[in-house]
Amino acid sequence: MNFNASRNVNAGGPRKAKRVVDVAAMGAPSPAPSFSPAAPYNPGYAQGPPPPYQQGIQLDGAQNFGTPEPAGNFGYMAGYPQTPMASPANIGAMLHQPIVQDMAMQYGNQLAAQGREVVTRELGKFVPVSRLRYYFAVDTNYVLKKLLLILFPYRHQEWMVKYDQESPVQPRYDVNAPDLYIPCMGYVSYVLLAGFMLGLQQRFSPEQISVQASGALAYIVCEMALYLATLYVTATRTALNTLDLLAFSGYKYTAMIYSLLAALALGAPGYYACLLYCSLGLSYFLVKTLRLRLLTGPTQTSEQPSYAYAAHYASPNPYTDSWAKPSSGGTKRRVYFLLFVAITQPLLSWWLTYHLVPSSPALPPVTSAG
Amino acid sequence: MLTLWNLFEATLLCLNAVCVLHEERFMQKMGWGSNSPNQGFEDQSSVKFQVLNLVRSIRTVTRIPLIILNILTIIFKLLLG
Repeated sequence: MNFNASRNVNAGGPRKAKRVVDVAAMGAPSPAPSFSPAAPYNPGYAQGPPPPYQQGIQLDGAQNFGTPEPAGNFGYMAGYPQTPMASPANIGAMLHQPIVQDMAMQYGNQLAAQGREVVTRELGKFVPVSRLRYYFAVDTNYVLKKLLLILFPYRHQEWMVKYDQESPVQPRYDVNAPDLYIPCMGYVSYVLLAGFMLGLQQRFSPEQISVQASGALAYIVCEMALYLATLYVTATRTALNTLDLLAFSGYKYTAMIYSLLAALALGAPGYYACLLYCSLGLSYFLVKTLRLRLLTGPTQTSEQPSYAYAAHYASPNPYTDSWAKPSSGGTKRRVYFLLFVAITQPLLSWWLTYHLVPSSPALPPVTSAG
Repeated sequence: MLTLWNLFEATLLCLNAVCVLHEERFMQKMGWGSNSPNQGFEDQSSVKFQVLNLVRSIRTVTRIPLIILNILTIIFKLLLG
């Protein structure tokens, strides 16, 4: 075919040197007119890919083009607008060369690695991933003990989290540490249980699952925003960080699930009785746990606060030896915040479950099963 | 019924409300201005100071994104009712 590979190369006139991709490999542009190396092109390229670089062929090694280069040496044809490779057959032939595939795979891997790195970096700015891992380091014993503790916290003696050189120990080693596993599982179980209970009352449709899930999620968001706004506006500085607050507010899902199970078994009176009992237990649990975190400021980590507060879960010895004055933010504000948390949790757990309660025991009698 | 969409709408409306409070015409008339001569000597940890600080920060940060969000929400509600 009559193909002139250098059709658009600036012919004659002031010949400007084209931008070279790899100057070092090219050496100085040869002053010879650019077309003379093009002449051996035409027969040359039909057998294999021509050199890739640019079309103003000012190659030093122009003489090499008489012999076709080993096929597949050039994985990319960058900057070759009127490439002689325009026909699909040539590109197809080139793409099947193994070395081209290798290079393409390497390039793809490199892109993927870069992309993953960018994603983790950006995500790390919003969500502290390494801190999240702490909250999910649980094991079965911890989960069991914690669930029992939420149900019956009155006999537990030691509420302080054990520390391991300035950082709290992982939840799997200490039952007092907060975790996010139980709240997550509680949320999912709540959604499924809500769907189940709606189904028993013939009120179920698949959209209900998403409605319940998004409703509960919206309540979580509202509640967290409320707590954080309260802490900010009253300028209360505490040792409680956001994820801890999220963990503690997620423990009410266990109380809700216990109450819903009681509602299944015993109907509305059972629901209210269980809700009352679980609310008391949950409030007690939260007050005991949060008292240690809230009422010592961010600088003092392990000193017991020495005052008496109005909550009826008063500690046995309000005045310890170390008369540690709490840091800024005011003790009263923290106490009020603690009470606020302890009261809103049962309220929210009632609000999120009362519309699911059947008016009579909804479980079918066992004899009719099967 | 509280869903995520309702939550989004409610936050959008609340943010709009916060951004609409005009500094000159309203806040200073009510004594909530942020340019009073002895503001630096007042109590930095009072609730009023924190709230006004919050309002001013929200206004500064969310003024532009709120325009975009409002336009998107209006289009969305026009199309989908």
